[in-house]
Amino acid sequence: MLTVADLPRRELAARLAGPGLVLRTGPFANRIRSDIPQLRDGIALLYADYPVDAPGGFADFHLSLRRAGGLRRFFRPQVCFSHEGVSPFKPLPLAQAFPMFEWVMNWCVTHRAHSWLIIHAAVLERHGRAIILPAPPGSGKSTLCAALVTRGWRLLSDEMTLVRLDDGAVLPLPRPVSLKNESIGIIRAYAPDAVLSPPVENTNKGTIAHLKAPSASIARVGDVAQPAFIVFPRYEAGAPVTLTPMGRARAFMGVAENAFNYQVLGMRGFTALGQLIDATAAFEFRYSKLDDAVQLFERMARDGV
Amino acid sequence: MWRVVPGQSLVFREWDGEAVLYNDLSGNTHLLDGGAVDVLLALRAQPLDAATLAARLADRFDADTDADALPAAIADMLTDLARLDLVESLPC
Repeated sequence: MLTVADLPRRELAARLAGPGLVLRTGPFANRIRSDIPQLRDGIALLYADYPVDAPGGFADFHLSLRRAGGLRRFFRPQVCFSHEGVSPFKPLPLAQAFPMFEWVMNWCVTHRAHSWLIIHAAVLERHGRAIILPAPPGSGKSTLCAALVTRGWRLLSDEMTLVRLDDGAVLPLPRPVSLKNESIGIIRAYAPDAVLSPPVENTNKGTIAHLKAPSASIARVGDVAQPAFIVFPRYEAGAPVTLTPMGRARAFMGVAENAFNYQVLGMRGFTALGQLIDATAAFEFRYSKLDDAVQLFERMARDGV
Repeated sequence: MWRVVPGQSLVFREWDGEAVLYNDLSGNTHLLDGGAVDVLLALRAQPLDAATLAARLADRFDADTDADALPAAIADMLTDLARLDLVESLPC
């Protein structure tokens, strides 16, 4: 199968500027059009291993990220996003084109993909057991996710856990892991060989860099995973590692609060989430040292308890 | 007398004495304790008043709950459930 890395740089640019690059991420085909070099470079670096369909192929999502026209082209240039002709976001400075692309890719899934229960959670798998990490921003979810990925865990997603409604399996949607502010330096130190995009400063989330998803995770995009644990992480400076069992009804509510489309799905969401809670053990987790967290998760995945 | 609000099918899941219940009318999900679910199921069978519910459910609540206080506790619970549009009082 053709990947982004197989396309000569000129061809990649021509597709982006012309009919669109049809990029496969998990179950989705995304037609991406853009004339922005930063975005082209970001895609070439972080999406090198992703399959590409023929330019005229079917796409679930149609994304266009263009330089703003008129005087904006020269004076503080901006990037504008539109999805099927509609622009739901304000234009951003041109330097933020790649982070904007990632947000837009997330937005398409959370707003359009209601065939799954979508939880705002990282999800990773090892030894055949998936751990779901639902958490609001600031909990250290992405840092923990990035650390696990660099220690051999299979990345299913750092941002959106897609739970199949009929059987509770988790669909892989591996994409670059978003790192913010101090997390960037922490992961650079933790995994010096990891591939990171150049940091982009002054976004509305601070400084952002993206960690490339492991090639092995992208190659296994067709294999669903069976969830074994739901772990609500919280980073606390200086805190020892603690793992506290959670009642299932409370875990249910915690996941529902972190789901993008639980309300939209109505009774189907209730049933699917109930099955997910039946199939998993839930915990609250506090940590400060990544090594301690990685060790504990390794033991959980290996022993299943 | 109290009854379950018509249209509520009382779909719930209960684990270890706590339950989540899907509210058909609002689309919300509520976290309830197991006692509240017992009250709802009793009312689904037939409308009852708080005193009768207390007598029927006495053995389902904690043994250390004062039997004399149970009707009042159930009356409070019914008020809470009414606020969620799960039950409503019937004119006598």
